[in-house]
Amino acid sequence: MKQRQLRHTPLAAAFALACLTLTASSALYAQAAPIRIGVVTPLTGTYAGIGQQVKWGIDLAVKEINDKGGIMGRKIEAIYEDEEANPNVAVQKAEKLFQVTKVDFLTGTVNSGSTLAVGQVAERNQRLAATTVSFSDAITGDKCSPNMFRVNAKAGMQSAALVEWMVKEKPSPSVFYLGPDYEMGRSTVAAFKSAAEKRGGKSVGEIYAPLDNKDYSPYFGQMRAAKPQVLYTSVAGNDTVRFLNQLSEFGLAKTMQIVGAAGTVTAQNMGAIGKAAEGYVTGAAYSADIDTAENRKFVADFKAAWKNEPDLYGVDSYGVVYFYKAAVEKAGTTDTEKLRAAMRGLEWQTPQGKKLMRAGDHQAVQDMYAVKVTNGKFQIIAKVPGEAAVGPDTCTRF
Amino acid sequence: MHGGACMNELLESLQFIYGPQIANGLAIGMAVVLMALGLTIIFGLLDVINMSHGEFYALGAYLAVTLAGQGVNFWFCLVLVPLLMAAIGYFTERTLIQRVFHSKDRHILTLLLTFGLAIITEDLFKLGYGPNPYKPESPIPGASELFGIMLPNYRVFLIVAGSCIIVAVWMLVYRTRLGAMVRAAAWDKHMAASLGVPVERVYAGTFAFGVALAGLSGVLLAPIYSVFPTMGKDFILMAFTVVIVGGMGSIKGAVIAGLLLTQVQSISSLFISPVWSEPLVFGIMVLFLIVRPQGLAGRLGHG
Repeated sequence: MKQRQLRHTPLAAAFALACLTLTASSALYAQAAPIRIGVVTPLTGTYAGIGQQVKWGIDLAVKEINDKGGIMGRKIEAIYEDEEANPNVAVQKAEKLFQVTKVDFLTGTVNSGSTLAVGQVAERNQRLAATTVSFSDAITGDKCSPNMFRVNAKAGMQSAALVEWMVKEKPSPSVFYLGPDYEMGRSTVAAFKSAAEKRGGKSVGEIYAPLDNKDYSPYFGQMRAAKPQVLYTSVAGNDTVRFLNQLSEFGLAKTMQIVGAAGTVTAQNMGAIGKAAEGYVTGAAYSADIDTAENRKFVADFKAAWKNEPDLYGVDSYGVVYFYKAAVEKAGTTDTEKLRAAMRGLEWQTPQGKKLMRAGDHQAVQDMYAVKVTNGKFQIIAKVPGEAAVGPDTCTRF
Repeated sequence: MHGGACMNELLESLQFIYGPQIANGLAIGMAVVLMALGLTIIFGLLDVINMSHGEFYALGAYLAVTLAGQGVNFWFCLVLVPLLMAAIGYFTERTLIQRVFHSKDRHILTLLLTFGLAIITEDLFKLGYGPNPYKPESPIPGASELFGIMLPNYRVFLIVAGSCIIVAVWMLVYRTRLGAMVRAAAWDKHMAASLGVPVERVYAGTFAFGVALAGLSGVLLAPIYSVFPTMGKDFILMAFTVVIVGGMGSIKGAVIAGLLLTQVQSISSLFISPVWSEPLVFGIMVLFLIVRPQGLAGRLGHG
């Protein structure tokens, strides 16, 4: 055994030397070669609209950075793969980008399942990845990955922002909850309820109405008897049209502040809800109306380039490229270990304001907003500091 | 002293909780009765279970939305839509229902036919109007307070208008010559035909009348419940329950059962989870089918 090892020593040494020269030359070559960012995002299917915003945001940032000389003298190149919002496809495409295209960094996943799966692919390939869209709390919670970062706000931050605004507006408010009777309805109410109770909210009643419920007025008796100051709801689609209209017809809308989930009042049903939507408040991570010089410039550039307004997904995808740039410049290299260390605790500038990448769970801490429907449009009425909205670090894997 | 406080509390809960609940249940009851009336008349006379009744209701609402978009006033729609719907109903009966009506499998064939019609109509709504809801403005906005009971003005109007329609339908069927012909055709079509009643036209006319009632409900209820492709399914289960409990084909039974069942739903939802209020109502229906399958009252033209 020992003899065999000895006999192989000269060969091993020669091999090592060859390797060394190769790495050195490739390192030299790398100075000029572009940095490759792989983007696995849905370009077709249900989520194609989101994928479009992701691409617009990234392309705009890449162009801006390249025009100013790139990152440490290297240009950036974004390489797209369609994941069809399907975790299985996302895994294959991510693997291909890491193994064949040899990308330095990966982003773009929309579906939370895709993000979780791609995080594992990144771990195997010893590269880093970030999501700019996925909301699921688990991504930076119990399913956190040392190789995955999230630059956008998670679901919990939206309801936390709403609670923060609520308790400031009405200290220790009495709250009534009404949600649709299925998983989403019950989990959104449970999350908001626990957040509200922690901040001194008093729960005075909760109702789960069947999905596609036609008339909510039979529950108004319970609601009237409970005399709540705030009503939280997570109904969606046409249910919101009926619920909010019936509340206002019965004169109940005037007696309490109505707040709700992000999907309750949307561009799709706002028109049909009409006047009854006025005054509705929800939590949000971004609005094109944010009145700062950075955001005004971003919105103008985005519109000039793509003839469309940026949304939440567009702005966060724009931001992830600057996040990567700041981290590489801080680390002075694209080496995974050093880059990860640089990303942890990194502060960087985005159109939404300054963001901080929390070291403990890789969740970006950012200011959140309470937005209110005014004249048929969402308007920012309050800013909630990021530290108040983000909640405790629950990641235990690293 | 203590008793007084207790009494006050009871009065207060009667006034502020039960009162509005009962008054509001009455408005929903009217909506259900309007739907059930057309259904029960068509069943009572033609012996056809009209599975597309809900879609005729939706069609009435969509017609109202379309006409309103052309600048037609709501009150005019209230007259125009039932007339249009009657024509559509007459045409449907002559071209579709009549084709399978005389088959010995009439029940199953008309059921399948109207069921298919419902599916096609619903998809046509999706194609023509898209999946997003429309919400017509309430023609009588605001709310009124009566004895401390707060009720939207439009729902008060619905209760009044619904009562008028019920009385008018009852008068038409039981107090006019036309109604006598309808009842005669339902009782014995051969005898009626031999006495000179144009039975075929009475059938088509009755179907048209039922469809017009569904369309009228669509116009009346659109400002409360909004308009969207699957709205036909909203009241149809409840309307069928009312027709079964009231007695298949009975106008009186449909009115009583409709108002009673919606009160049960309304009052019970004060105490139990909304999820249980439907099983409660359907439980009553099952009970009726076991104990009194003929329902509260007899069939149209049969007493």
